[in-house]
Amino acid sequence: MSRRLRVSLGVLGIVLAGVIALAATGQLRLPAGLTGNTASAEGWTPPTTAWGDPDLQGIYNYGTSTPLQRPAQVGGKQVMSDEEAEQLQEDLAFRLDRDRRDGGAQADVSRSYNDVWMDPARMRLTADKRTSLIVDPPDGRIPPRVERQLTPADKLAQAEADMSTRRFNTGFQESYKDMDVGNRCIIRRRNEGGGHPYLPAIYNNMAQIFQSPGYVVIYSEMIHFARVIPVDGRAPLPDGVETWLGDARGRWEGNTLVVETRNFIAPDDVGRTGVVYGNANPKTYRLVERFTRVSPETINYEVTISDPETWTRPFTIMVPWNKTNEQIYEYQCQELNYDMYHWLHGAREREKRGERFDPNAPDARVEGDGG
Amino acid sequence: MRPTRASRATVANPRIRRPRPGDLKVSGYREGYPMRITLTIVLAATVATAAVPVHAHHAFASEFDARKPVKFTGTVTKMEWINPHSWMHIEVKKPDGTVENWMIEAGSPNSLFRRGINKNTVKPGMVVVVDGYQARDGSRRANGRDVTLPEGRRLFLGSQGTGAPGDQK
Amino acid sequence: MGKRSNALIVVVIAAVAVVGIWLAMRLQGPAAAQVARPGQFPEYTPARTADGKPDLNGIWQSLTTANWDLEAHGAGPGAYPQMLGAWGAEPGGQSIVEGGVIPYRPESLARREANFENRAKPSVPGDGVEPSMGDPELKCWMTGVPRMMYMPYPLQIVQTPEAVLVTQEFNGNTRIVRMNWEEESPVDNTFFMGWNRGRWEGDTLVIDVTGLSDKNWLDRAGNFLSDAAHVVERLTAASPYHITYEATIEDPKVFSRPWKISFPLYRRMERDVQLMEFKCQPFVEELVYGRFTKKPTT
Repeated sequence: MSRRLRVSLGVLGIVLAGVIALAATGQLRLPAGLTGNTASAEGWTPPTTAWGDPDLQGIYNYGTSTPLQRPAQVGGKQVMSDEEAEQLQEDLAFRLDRDRRDGGAQADVSRSYNDVWMDPARMRLTADKRTSLIVDPPDGRIPPRVERQLTPADKLAQAEADMSTRRFNTGFQESYKDMDVGNRCIIRRRNEGGGHPYLPAIYNNMAQIFQSPGYVVIYSEMIHFARVIPVDGRAPLPDGVETWLGDARGRWEGNTLVVETRNFIAPDDVGRTGVVYGNANPKTYRLVERFTRVSPETINYEVTISDPETWTRPFTIMVPWNKTNEQIYEYQCQELNYDMYHWLHGAREREKRGERFDPNAPDARVEGDGG
Repeated sequence: MRPTRASRATVANPRIRRPRPGDLKVSGYREGYPMRITLTIVLAATVATAAVPVHAHHAFASEFDARKPVKFTGTVTKMEWINPHSWMHIEVKKPDGTVENWMIEAGSPNSLFRRGINKNTVKPGMVVVVDGYQARDGSRRANGRDVTLPEGRRLFLGSQGTGAPGDQK
Repeated sequence: MGKRSNALIVVVIAAVAVVGIWLAMRLQGPAAAQVARPGQFPEYTPARTADGKPDLNGIWQSLTTANWDLEAHGAGPGAYPQMLGAWGAEPGGQSIVEGGVIPYRPESLARREANFENRAKPSVPGDGVEPSMGDPELKCWMTGVPRMMYMPYPLQIVQTPEAVLVTQEFNGNTRIVRMNWEEESPVDNTFFMGWNRGRWEGDTLVIDVTGLSDKNWLDRAGNFLSDAAHVVERLTAASPYHITYEATIEDPKVFSRPWKISFPLYRRMERDVQLMEFKCQPFVEELVYGRFTKKPTT
């Protein structure tokens, strides 16, 4: 080997060794543009944990007033101007002002409730002033549902679910099965962010992220659940193992934590709200979530929801998670759930007094998808 | 510490005027003004509808009766700052001298803890005024709309909810 | 003979010596093997996290029968032998209480007896039964502190400098231990998993627990705490596979003095071991709410 060649190989070797060493210690990161949704603040590099994983830790609030779906009337406008955003927030405050007493007892109670109990973050739009949380499809709307021919058994199930809702709405619940999964303290109602996907609800939009080697753990305040996400590449659980909150597997793609969740349960009697978002089919439902820290204060949370049996195409929602100085408190549920007794015993008492369930009573009206 | 939020425009407060479509005298708005206002009104309405169920909110009617408003002054005997709902227990002296024990339903206390509201805010022995709606089954239970504490502070302790996680809509 | 044959002899002797020593060592076995003795751990210096603290991360589980009864007990039939046979029977077990017996105030023993009598007759919140009846575990409640530490289910510790998360398979029993935290619990007699504040004393994690709900039990035998309870736990890594756990329980309304429990936690070593979800609410609804179901009209 010539001396010149030896020197060249030596330099190459040193350079390679350096690159390998940097990669091993986690100091080497792909430029933001190559890893997808990592729109970091100008020149900001996310920190890493001591063992080299991107550091997502902290306590976050994902409440916002930005609606999930873009209202049809805004004609496809994707982002509001500063003026519009400010006006909207003022208008919202007016609508939700508890000093208004118009609208009937229900609205009355709701406004007052909202004033005290609602998460104040719910009054604020996302910083990017989007007109919807849905970012894909581009129209900002949930895709159409798959048209299915209903079997007689489907129709019967729907009719029974409808009756169950009417019994609930009018206070004539027959059994615990007439309450939904949230009322029964099984899981938080899906369409309000029953843990994952994490979607803003009226309150308790809080989550805390912990990390240790091989794990990312997301603790949701409601209903007290620590979601342990292994990031060590292990295989998912086999298909026959069913769970209410799914079983998660995570991996890092650059600075983004990608989490895939499956193994959802399909029980017979969940009540009026389903196990998974949109009351989709738990067997074919898939959730892919992406967490990317884009600034010291914010994680961009993106979730793609799909179920070929339910929606004609997948859709993606983006909700910013904002770091907060506030703490998470225990959300006990089953332990001190007075409501189950009040509803059930209350219904039996009313029946003893001769009151009867009327499916056509004005308050029996059924909500869209059961909430 | 109460977090700051968008200033409240109330009917009584003329400081912030809600613009009406076609009102070209409102300052600060450029050409194309009605379109922009339509956008914000529509969006606000969407969000407000989601947060304030003007159409049927199941849980309220499933347990409480809008036709049975109640209002009384009582003494707090116990305050349960619990989930899914807090409960305030009060002793009410009726005009005829008899005493009744009522329980008043409230929401999830976690957001109150975050604002520094705690066991010292509502204590046994406090005299409070409660304004709400009674349970349908006739028991001494109410879904409170307003609670006024001794120093005149209003603390709403009514619950809108189904009694369970995620109640709203 | 010459230089070459001398060298050959030296090489052969050296080779034989090497083989001989190797054989001797193999026959002797590994050097200085230790005999394990229950109740003793050899001195151990734990692996450390980046911030210099003993690394307690991992999945752990205790192996006593304390969840049935903290005190020593013989085997028994359980609550429903006619239905559950050996599945539902109580195994015998030794006490994890230092001194063996829990130092109840005499007037508190009646409540323990009543708890045990009614352990399988669950009451529900709101039904007016005071104190509530039925073992909280049976009703799928979060079983609290210290009980979660000796329930027969794995728990995972996720340790960070600011907070330590301890989460268990049973009903997602979870608590967040805030490190070096001064703020007191905002409420009393409320938190099933307590208000947890931690600190390191040398290599021991000390957890101070207040704010506990008085509706929780310590075991299936009906041992209980009041709203005056104060629990202080100490966790120390004893080997790569063990944590020694101790808890001191102080509750002047129920007990005549503070008392202590202790036992090891064992590291779960199955490859790819994980906590499985155990949401028990659906399994107890019929038991707990079935009596309120509308009876069919005949």
